[in-house]
Amino acid sequence: MAPWITKYLKVRGRKFKILIGFFLVVIIGLTASLYYYNKPHVNVEKSDAVYRLTAHNLIKEYQDNEKNTNEKYTEKVIQIEGDVSEISTLRGNSVVTLNDPDSESSIICHMQAEDNKRALTLRKGERITIKGVCTGYLLDVIMVRCILVE
Amino acid sequence: MRGIYFIVFGTLLMQNLSAQDKYLTKEGFVSFFSHSIVEDIKADNNQVLSVVDTKTGEIAIQLLMRSFMFEKALMREHFNENYVESYKFPKATFSGEIRNYAELNETNTVSEIVGTLTVHGKEKEISSKVTVIITDNIITLTGDFKVEVADFDIKIPAIVANNIAKTIKVSFELHHKPYN
Repeated sequence: MAPWITKYLKVRGRKFKILIGFFLVVIIGLTASLYYYNKPHVNVEKSDAVYRLTAHNLIKEYQDNEKNTNEKYTEKVIQIEGDVSEISTLRGNSVVTLNDPDSESSIICHMQAEDNKRALTLRKGERITIKGVCTGYLLDVIMVRCILVE
Repeated sequence: MRGIYFIVFGTLLMQNLSAQDKYLTKEGFVSFFSHSIVEDIKADNNQVLSVVDTKTGEIAIQLLMRSFMFEKALMREHFNENYVESYKFPKATFSGEIRNYAELNETNTVSEIVGTLTVHGKEKEISSKVTVIITDNIITLTGDFKVEVADFDIKIPAIVANNIAKTIKVSFELHHKPYN
């Protein structure tokens, strides 16, 4: 430590050092709380997909046992491979739907803003891979914060 | 109980009526807003599923709690893990009807929507004013209503009691297209 700091601390009494120590703890605590309060949403791009499967298999799992499948996939980053059945936009962001020829259900993927341009160039029937967070199943599986994977 | 909503939905969707009678959206908008002195909390859900039967005015709505998007990740985490416990109750549903649907037209657009709202596993009869705009291909329902957090058995810890309002305002905007 710089010599003037050590000399300054030596001159001041013990009480002073304790006070400084206390303030340091408070500042560190406040900074940590602020980071925690502002902690970011999960970074899908940097996360590894916990599961990788095809659109057909994911839909089938949900139709076989919704409750268990929900526990398995909800809030997890998963990677899905499937065929594009529809591309649309919703409130400025693109939505890509992957279908399953064997069922009425699809996987609705709400894309992140960064992938909008690329998503809008996709064609129906194209086989693509999407990584995103699974939020559950209504009539279709719903995924959010999705990105296209090469 | 989940079975009941399955049946309502299934029945609404599978009734053998002409395609023009059923209108559906999978991108309905529902948001809620809590105002308190400490902070305002709001979240949007853009993946709401809603079906309207224009013959009867019946409506069935389902949404995933986890589809509510918050600005802060931490708020979303608290909402899902502690307040609505979405791992136990992943969906919120509404089953009811738009009153006097048959009398709605270009000039008469305001009605009331009544029915059962189920959140966090608890049912509550609610009613909301609704504006219904009907064009050739789209039926738009908009409105808002208030709910008491306590009615749905949602426990707010004392430490954050001042951060969350006891009464929450819920808004909806649903654009239905013909279902076929």
